[in-house]
Amino acid sequence: MDEFLIKIKNKFRNNDDLFLQEEQILDVSVIFIGFNTLIDLTKTKRTLHKHIANAISSKKTIGELLNELGEVKEEDMTEAISSIMKGKLLIVIKDQHKYVILEPVPKLLSRAIEKPTNENVLQGPLSSFNEDIETNIGLIRKQINSSKIRAEFFSVGPEQKTKLSLLYFDGQVDKKLVEKVKLLLEKNQDRELNNLQDLTEVLGFSGWSVITKFNVTELPSETVPYLRKGRIVLLVDRFPFALIIPCFLWDMFTLENDRNFPIPLMTSIRTVRVIGILITLFLPALYVALVAVNPEVLRLELALTIAQSREAIPYPALVEIILMLIIMELIIEATVRLPSTIGPTITMVGGIILGQAVVEAKLVSTLLIIILAATTIANSTLVGIQNFLAVRFLKYLMVILASIYGVLGILGGMVLISAYLASIETFGISYLHLNYEKEGTKYG
Amino acid sequence: MRTLTLIILTSLCSLLLLSGCWDTKDLNHRSLPIAMGVALEDDNYEIHLQIPDTNQESVEIKIVSEKGQSISKAIDKLSANMESQIDLLHTKVIVIDKDLATKGFKDLISGFMRDREVSPKALVVVSDEKIETLFSKLKNTTDPQGTNLFDFFDKEAGWNPQISLTRVWQVYRSFYSYTKDVAIPIIKSGDSTTVEHLGSAVIKNDKMVESINTEETLLLNAFYNESTSGKVEVMDEATLMIVSNSMDHKSQFINQIPYLKSQLNLKVVLLETTDNPTTKEIKTSLETLLTERFNEMFTKIQESEADILGVGQYFRTKIPREQLKNWRSEYYPNLRMDLQIHVVIQNEGQLKLVDH
Repeated sequence: MDEFLIKIKNKFRNNDDLFLQEEQILDVSVIFIGFNTLIDLTKTKRTLHKHIANAISSKKTIGELLNELGEVKEEDMTEAISSIMKGKLLIVIKDQHKYVILEPVPKLLSRAIEKPTNENVLQGPLSSFNEDIETNIGLIRKQINSSKIRAEFFSVGPEQKTKLSLLYFDGQVDKKLVEKVKLLLEKNQDRELNNLQDLTEVLGFSGWSVITKFNVTELPSETVPYLRKGRIVLLVDRFPFALIIPCFLWDMFTLENDRNFPIPLMTSIRTVRVIGILITLFLPALYVALVAVNPEVLRLELALTIAQSREAIPYPALVEIILMLIIMELIIEATVRLPSTIGPTITMVGGIILGQAVVEAKLVSTLLIIILAATTIANSTLVGIQNFLAVRFLKYLMVILASIYGVLGILGGMVLISAYLASIETFGISYLHLNYEKEGTKYG
Repeated sequence: MRTLTLIILTSLCSLLLLSGCWDTKDLNHRSLPIAMGVALEDDNYEIHLQIPDTNQESVEIKIVSEKGQSISKAIDKLSANMESQIDLLHTKVIVIDKDLATKGFKDLISGFMRDREVSPKALVVVSDEKIETLFSKLKNTTDPQGTNLFDFFDKEAGWNPQISLTRVWQVYRSFYSYTKDVAIPIIKSGDSTTVEHLGSAVIKNDKMVESINTEETLLLNAFYNESTSGKVEVMDEATLMIVSNSMDHKSQFINQIPYLKSQLNLKVVLLETTDNPTTKEIKTSLETLLTERFNEMFTKIQESEADILGVGQYFRTKIPREQLKNWRSEYYPNLRMDLQIHVVIQNEGQLKLVDH
């Protein structure tokens, strides 16, 4: 056994799925190296044999055949190892330090193109991204069918490289913005890239921002209009979502699918989402403010009804609402964690707690349950899980400020949140930008 | 960077502690009196509060009373004796005893304006009987929330256009205004209803000097452009409903005598008729009736030198500021008022009127 093979074996020691198989091609003994967990060996061999049969009939030499199969390389150890890692088949010619990297028939390790699991589509295209980056780009190309789509590849990571693809619509996108992103990706090539937090760092954003700088979607039909509007789409291998930058406040309320309905209906759907964010932010805060700090704002009849519903409740309004909000968060978190077979149990048990038992035990008031339910429902109207989470988080700020300063605190919280949103910028483009596609190229 | 974050976090946490949110009281630990009755007894205020006492099933009305040298002293005593804190912020109606109203209640209203506990929007009402009697009647209400006295004056509930509405701030303004006085409603407990409306008290500065009846109050409200719709007017020939009213004023100041020419435009709807009168008859009789009624009222208030119509407002630009303060005593008694009433019968109801 020659030195080259021993080196490879050493590199991949304790890997039982690595195969080294001796074969004869045109009477020359070669060795196939690869992972049988990544390569469908039988099918690969069958294809290979067809090539060999062709070569015999046209009387080609072994050198010519190998050149046909792939690039012939010599001695390059690192290249060989990374090729094996990527799931390529290595054909090493025995006793010569030459090898060929062959594109084998891969094992099917990605799921098929399925319906979206995180977003529901009403009357619209249903296919969603999956973990394979090539499939995802293919889906986008299928959706837009334009020669102006550009897809540039990058790989980021110190040792194991993660594939990353940058897509944009040439002619619409701001060239400077693309250059900036490209520069950052190239500069930070050696950084770890395992999750979105890493990607945030690679692109030089702060990891402490509540609002994410990516708009995330798993639908090609939502991604393509963004491309057309001059945004940049990032695809990360093994991550079945498209990341859209820059991301704006208005994206929280709009879906491209809305445009499949008539304009009046589209407008009203979007208005509902705006009302949703307002209710989520203000309703729990108003409850605390009006019950504890500023009851004079209420109408007398309402004040008496609330006072009646809070009779014999042991906690102050703030403790009461925080307690129930936390239970609500726990229920939401639990339903996400649990498999769908046990999920309904949680819904049922949670429903019993929130629906009746807590009120009957006189721990919280009936009005609070109504507010809690309305808040949770309203919160869910927002587009995008990341926005849903951000608003869910910000509502606590409002509740605490309201408990201290009452209605004035709500106003203060609103100013704070507005100021915060105004301070967010992505590559010099403000988060509150309303009309990026028309005037966006002026900035950035 | 890390220490800076720490400092900011610590100061934010101390903000929570220092904010004073521990002294806010939840709604169910506050008593919210709806009505407050004030009487004067031997130089001491006697206050009565109508408090809806909520419990899980129903609302019960509680009447509590206390005496004190000042209102806040009395409230403080009450608060100390009660299981929850008295919060006057929802007090909607202030009932003043008639004796106190004739003696003057400047201190009372100024006190309300000063400490801001009572909303300046609260209504001021004069009681024709002892406050105690009135409030004991209020206690026997079946109203689920005990807001009956407030509902009586609420425009969305029991208010009628012959009831004048005057708020605390308006009363306070009239103490200092040269040209504007207020009329506040007079009530007493009724036989079949909880409250009976008697008319309005004419207040000059801070004293009640005269009273006008309900029909005159209706004209007064028409003068304020308070919508008079819904009012039923009874005459020999017909019953009418006023659906809209508007006023026009022209003021002149000749030889130190103010002249005011006013036109009241009424749109009415016929409700009932007797003996088939013509529209013309109805019009003229309504016009004469209202003119007579107005003149009677105007003479009365002119004699009492209380400008509840606020006609002085139309002469503010014509009389120098130094002399304006004598408006009530010098100019107002000499005012020549000429009111013309113009009636339009907007429709004749569901039946056609046959003209003879």
